[in-house]
Amino acid sequence: MTDIAEGSPLHAECHTYDDYSALLEDYYARGWTDGLPIVPPTPAAVESFLGFAGLEPSTVLGAVPTREVAVTAEHAAINAVMAGCRVDYFPVVVAAVRAHLQDKANCHSTTGTLSGAAQIVIVNGPIRQEIDLNCRAGCFGPGWRANATIGRALRLVIRNVCRAVPNFLDRATFSTPARYAFCFGENEEDSPWVPLHVERGFRAEESTVTVHSAMTVLSAEEMVARTPEGILDTICTVTRRKGTAGDQWLGDGTNLVMVIGQEHMRWLTAAGWSKADIRSYLWPRLTEAPRPGERTVKLGHPEGLLIVAAGGPGMAETWLFFPHLAWAITEAVLPPATPGG
Amino acid sequence: MAERNAALIGLDPTSGPLPAGGGRDRPAPRPKSLDGAVIGLVANGLGQAEAFLARLYEELAEGTAGALAVLKGSVSIPPEPEDWARLTSEATVAITGFGG
Repeated sequence: MTDIAEGSPLHAECHTYDDYSALLEDYYARGWTDGLPIVPPTPAAVESFLGFAGLEPSTVLGAVPTREVAVTAEHAAINAVMAGCRVDYFPVVVAAVRAHLQDKANCHSTTGTLSGAAQIVIVNGPIRQEIDLNCRAGCFGPGWRANATIGRALRLVIRNVCRAVPNFLDRATFSTPARYAFCFGENEEDSPWVPLHVERGFRAEESTVTVHSAMTVLSAEEMVARTPEGILDTICTVTRRKGTAGDQWLGDGTNLVMVIGQEHMRWLTAAGWSKADIRSYLWPRLTEAPRPGERTVKLGHPEGLLIVAAGGPGMAETWLFFPHLAWAITEAVLPPATPGG
Repeated sequence: MAERNAALIGLDPTSGPLPAGGGRDRPAPRPKSLDGAVIGLVANGLGQAEAFLARLYEELAEGTAGALAVLKGSVSIPPEPEDWARLTSEATVAITGFGG
């Protein structure tokens, strides 16, 4: 049975069920989930999300022209509820959707690609602490509701609204578990460095989301070196072995995201190195012509290296998110319509 | 699924139904023969895509009316509208493939 909810401002079709079990089985059967259970997107829940963010259901957050799809705030809210988001996470989800649907974020390619690129959501600013988003130990893994559900909400929007359904418009050969959810925050509290969003032109007190479509994720382990040069040379070696993609349409705007763990950050900051210093050291070494066994690193300018502080103590490593065919886009998280919800 | 007086309402999270066939590939019907056909060769620009398609055409060329090669201007985006127009107006069938 389908219908439009009587008296509701929402546009989506309603489906009625005897109980949660019946709803869940029907959503699975229709292909509306990522394979995990979902929270029922009831009209009341969806309206509460939209109300919190001060968004009309029909507000368009972005589009995928090649798929003739426009993503509305209502679409985002329904999928955020399904992902298990709390209502106060929704402005972050909205910013992530807006970022991913910018032209050069290239939703069509990054969600359809054989390579199975994952959309990585990096959060900066005060919202991280307000919603308990993990930035430290274990921040790439399970255990934090905000990390898990915000990343999942974006992926459900990509699947359900942008039509990146596996074996339909999602043509990934293997795909990746990072496509279930990948969201973390920059550890601004333990880092003396300028946060990512400030480097990209936002104020420190603003909250932002940066969405980066990563084709490959590699760890650059350097357990022995205690100097910036030693650590960064290892990062350089790992990066040059893999290389980065790019083309004429993307121009100079592609990015390599380097998530520097606490142990590496400790040695770098002890030597007084800033993010700008790191970039200055790496840039000529990354972009010189490849030697045998290496690939070209196609970045247009040093600012294409996005440096993020995150993770916990222990392993001396930096994680490298190699780009798919897209730019990493940063969008502001707009404050809720009613402060405090 | 239950009727209208049921206990729980869930909203459709999609932008509409996928094409019939459950989202599986639906290639156009194969022509019975390539005799007299113009073969569109759509290279995505990755790796050896152009060389691969050119070699493939050599295998198919006998009896055809020729090839129409299209090289995407960017690996990042679909063919340009003018490329689609050329393909739909001049090619009988088209072949594309990953060239990584």
